[in-house]
Amino acid sequence: MTRQKRSRHRLKRTVAPYLYLSPSLVIIGLLMLLPMVTVISYSFQNSAVLRRDSSFAGLKHYQAIFADPVFWASLWHTLYFTCISVIFHMTIGMIFALMLNSDRINPTLRNILRVLYILPWLFTAVIIAVIWRLLLEPNGVVNSILMQLGIIGSKIEWFSSPETALHAVTFANIWAGYPLFMVSLLAGLQGIPKDFYEAADIDGAKAYQKLIFITIPQLMPIIISISLLDFIWTMQVFPLIWITTGGGPIYSTEVLSTYTYKLAFSSYNLSQAAASAVVILLISLGLTLFYIRYQKAR
Amino acid sequence: MAEVILENICKTYGNNFHAIDQLNLSVEDGEFLILVGPSGCGKSTALRMIAGLEDVTSGSLRIGGVDVVDMPPKDRDIAMVFQSYALYPHMTVSENIAFSMRLAGKPKAERKKRVDEIAKTLQLTSLLDSKPANLSGGQRQRVAMGRAMVREPAAFLMDEPLSNLDAKLRVQMRAEITSLQKQLGVTTIYVTHDQTEAMTMGDRVAVLKGGVLQQVDTPKRLYESPVNAFVAGFIGSPSMNLFEATLMGDELTVGAFAIRLQNAAFGRRPGLKSYAGRKVVFGIRPEDLYDSNLESGRKYQTIPAKVTSIEELGSEHIVHLSIDAARVDSGDPDAVQDFGMASNAVAKFEPVSAVRSGSEIRLALDDTKLHFFDPETHLAI
Ligand SMILES: Nc1ncnc2c1ncn2[C@@H]1O[C@H](COP(=O)(O)OP(=O)(O)OP(=O)(O)O)[C@@H](O)[C@H]1O
Ligand SMILES: [Mg+2]
Repeated sequence: MTRQKRSRHRLKRTVAPYLYLSPSLVIIGLLMLLPMVTVISYSFQNSAVLRRDSSFAGLKHYQAIFADPVFWASLWHTLYFTCISVIFHMTIGMIFALMLNSDRINPTLRNILRVLYILPWLFTAVIIAVIWRLLLEPNGVVNSILMQLGIIGSKIEWFSSPETALHAVTFANIWAGYPLFMVSLLAGLQGIPKDFYEAADIDGAKAYQKLIFITIPQLMPIIISISLLDFIWTMQVFPLIWITTGGGPIYSTEVLSTYTYKLAFSSYNLSQAAASAVVILLISLGLTLFYIRYQKAR
Repeated sequence: MAEVILENICKTYGNNFHAIDQLNLSVEDGEFLILVGPSGCGKSTALRMIAGLEDVTSGSLRIGGVDVVDMPPKDRDIAMVFQSYALYPHMTVSENIAFSMRLAGKPKAERKKRVDEIAKTLQLTSLLDSKPANLSGGQRQRVAMGRAMVREPAAFLMDEPLSNLDAKLRVQMRAEITSLQKQLGVTTIYVTHDQTEAMTMGDRVAVLKGGVLQQVDTPKRLYESPVNAFVAGFIGSPSMNLFEATLMGDELTVGAFAIRLQNAAFGRRPGLKSYAGRKVVFGIRPEDLYDSNLESGRKYQTIPAKVTSIEELGSEHIVHLSIDAARVDSGDPDAVQDFGMASNAVAKFEPVSAVRSGSEIRLALDDTKLHFFDPETHLAI
């Protein structure tokens, strides 16, 4: 082989992978990067979209939303909604996964439970929202059961009283989201070698010790990655809240996604909406980087 | 320290599979007993029943004089080494070794002292803070041993602990485990399907087939006087050659040739006389067959054979032969692979042997080393 031929060969080898990647890079660029950059640029313009000759606005829109108490309330609600959701998704998912994996439960019952437990996953957000609106109606099933059990004295307007609305949407979201954890943890549980438990049995481990010393450490990688993913996704939940409470009453369930949506399509303040969207983007980005770092470290 | 006694132990799995049938076995205090047999014969099942990881269907099981049938594993005072080692990947070597002490709520200082002691015996001191993933196979094996030793159990149970190691390391660990067992003097039951391990490590060897105990004896006795054709074929590598023949007077007639028997052969086996004129199974080990052209083979009678292939191992030649006789299956599923398509006998020749593949030779055999079995029951005569 001549030197020229060889260097051409090498060039081909370097370029080839990028050629294979190029279609997906183009699609990602068009569908994700372009809108992202556009939104970021809107957030620095006056009357973005609405006017052709929009001028540079600096950080004006960011200052405006940071000065808005509703923004801070939304941020707080988002964090509450997300943290509580993730914690309960994890706990419930773990308990159900342990139940489904236990051989003390009759296999037929286990199969039935498996189907039941996974049901929430089969519904889209809109259907889940409608289901919970019906269930939590003042004259709905939940109220009548609670009243019959004597837990509450009078009918509660779950979604329309400011004290309960945020808890109610969080509850609905918990219900909607635990199957991801359950399924992932179940797969993880099934991958833990039986020997580990047998060795622990011989060493005299009690059930809770096996959970603490074997099961949870073995599942840790799954718990951490699914938690981070769940956190990123839950932060952006929109349809469930939009359909159940719409962010109300009196902003009590306003989260960043509904806040942004309202800025854009109720107030037509697209520039401020863009600024708010950029804030969401930055938080998500931070979490995602954290997730990627974690995945790499493993 | 304790003896382990199994009486009429049976095991039937949930799917009605009889894995162990009427197992009687007594392992003395401090003894190293090997449980050997082909794959699926129930070795692991037997061991797991002793450990308490598997229920005993019927029979009695005593460890150190205590009936343990209804006891959970932790109360049986045994330690087990698993084939996979079952080391916890998220714990360091020292945490793995100290795990049972931690569960028992022993103080940290005591744990550390004990772990250091064990690490010293097993040469693991420099590795105490490593995770199992960073250890070599042999080191992992030693950690597993350490975890078993930490509680000073009455008995060690080991299920094929060396099968994940490469051949060379296996030889080394074989010696290490044997000397460690001697040093500790703990009753040990060791499962393997490797008959080299069986022959070299144990005080006694129990041979199991299809859930039924065939023979328990010292390795030497097992090799010299197997109770039946299965044990004869299973113990020894390559396997004993087994053929069908007819006993005519003092001659074994095999196809086109005959083997003369000396009077001593009948003297040692009074039962053999009654097979006169009948079919009988005879066996000869590869190491009792010789190349008639060599000095070592001169003094024996010869039979015709054709060489089909030769494995030159340096220290010896494994010669595959075809002889005009009907081979008898010992019932050992692993034995079949010793025989190629065309060959039905194996011999071990000295490396100076000049036999060539494809040639017709005279095969010398040491007729004092013949084994005889009943053609129906396969029991030794
Ligand atoms: N849980 C179980 N349920 C039903 N049958 C089983 C079960 N465990 C083992 N067996 C059967 O019992 C027989 C003995 O199994 P065991 O594991 O004791 O064999 P083994 O001698 O240890 O074999 P190997 O050398 O392959 O480890 C096998 O035929 C196996 O299929
Ligand atoms: Mg086994």
